[in-house]
Amino acid sequence: MKQAHCIFEEDDHRWLAIARDPSKPGHIIDTNEYVVVKGKEALLCDPGGIEIFPSVFSALSAECDPTRLAGIFSSHQDPDIISSLALWLEFKPELKCYISWLWQSFLPHFGGEESTFVPIPDPGMTILLGGIELQAIPAHYLHSSGNFHLYDPKAKILFSGDVGAALLPADHNGLYVEDFGRHIRHAEAFHKRWMGSDKAKRDWCERVSRLEIDMMVPQHGAIYRGADVQRFINWFSALEVGVLRS
Amino acid sequence: MNAPQPNLHVKARGSSELARIVRVNEEIKAIVATAFRINLMALNAIFLAKRAGNAALGFGVLSNELRRFAQDLTRNMSSLRDMTSGSVGSVTGVVQYQRNSSILAEAIRLSGDGVPGAREARRRGAARLAAQQAKLRALDIRLRSAVEETQQLVELGGVLARSAKIEAAYGGTFSPALMQVSTDFAEVIAQIKRSLEILGKERLVKD
Ligand SMILES: [Fe+2]
Ligand SMILES: [Fe+2]
Repeated sequence: MKQAHCIFEEDDHRWLAIARDPSKPGHIIDTNEYVVVKGKEALLCDPGGIEIFPSVFSALSAECDPTRLAGIFSSHQDPDIISSLALWLEFKPELKCYISWLWQSFLPHFGGEESTFVPIPDPGMTILLGGIELQAIPAHYLHSSGNFHLYDPKAKILFSGDVGAALLPADHNGLYVEDFGRHIRHAEAFHKRWMGSDKAKRDWCERVSRLEIDMMVPQHGAIYRGADVQRFINWFSALEVGVLRS
Repeated sequence: MNAPQPNLHVKARGSSELARIVRVNEEIKAIVATAFRINLMALNAIFLAKRAGNAALGFGVLSNELRRFAQDLTRNMSSLRDMTSGSVGSVTGVVQYQRNSSILAEAIRLSGDGVPGAREARRRGAARLAAQQAKLRALDIRLRSAVEETQQLVELGGVLARSAKIEAAYGGTFSPALMQVSTDFAEVIAQIKRSLEILGKERLVKD
């Protein structure tokens, strides 16, 4: 069963990580879902696939009133990111789904009406949540051609989608990266193969280096904290990406 | 734990509904193909009757009637086909709603029944499912009455085939050939009758 862990809390502002599910069927990639809660509103980042919906829903409901969900932030179009869309809409039909404009007409294959989708333009946009401004940060071609990360300048958290993802062995089930050197070995093959563009990678490294980040939270694997965030950016900028075999 | 989650097993039920539509469509296709054959057979019979001349005047008239019958049958079947292809959309809707609402029900069960919004979501889901099912039921009624109408038409075809057999007896030297044609007619019509009986038993929705 998945569980929601509070990774940031300041007054009525919280980040929940629904991460590391040991009971998930082995043939499905393990995913992390994140919930930003501010006041009476909540935003769900990369809600995940159909198969894991019941466990994500119940983990979320244990920590926050699910009727407060105002929207879904979908970093990109992959099934492990957003194929559960129809189920969230089944629960709350008026939910808004933020997604790159590029995927706006593709996502309805998973569900939703025209009014469900808020297209994010290529340069990104501000998403208001309970009075705070979250920023959709461009991360195109990393790996999707229309791809965004979500930055919360108050919590100093960057949700980085597939960037920073690590496919960890079953015994590495901690929420946070504890030993960067050991951890990053499980991220290398993934980034080399899934990230297609060196130029996009350099752009992203430059862009996020300008942000103040306490935590970088990826969609797969463990969370980077403190100095590990910069360590990751440095490691990534030096990595050769877009290669078939390492 | 590698076992698939039990909540996602509703797929099987949905696919049985789709399978039913596929069966209905296949039966309709078979009847359409047979109607086409009757049409060709009737055309041949008309030529044969012309060659037989005066001896086969009655047979010629019946062959024309059979041809008209084949055309009516084709028309009936194509409107049946329109109905079932429309129903694929409705069945898919039902399957989807059933699947979604059962996964959502599992999610709510895991979260405890008191979870806010659960009752509204359940009510909304049930209403939507009921609306889709009502649509399907209405379609089922239309389909059944169309099948009944076609069955009556085929009864008429049976009468025509039997009469053709009687007329063939008066065909003089052409009698064996005419007899063969009218026997073929009767066989094909019996085949259509069987298909329609199967169709009449199929239901798009379970009661
Ligand atoms: Fe992806
Ligand atoms: Fe992913």
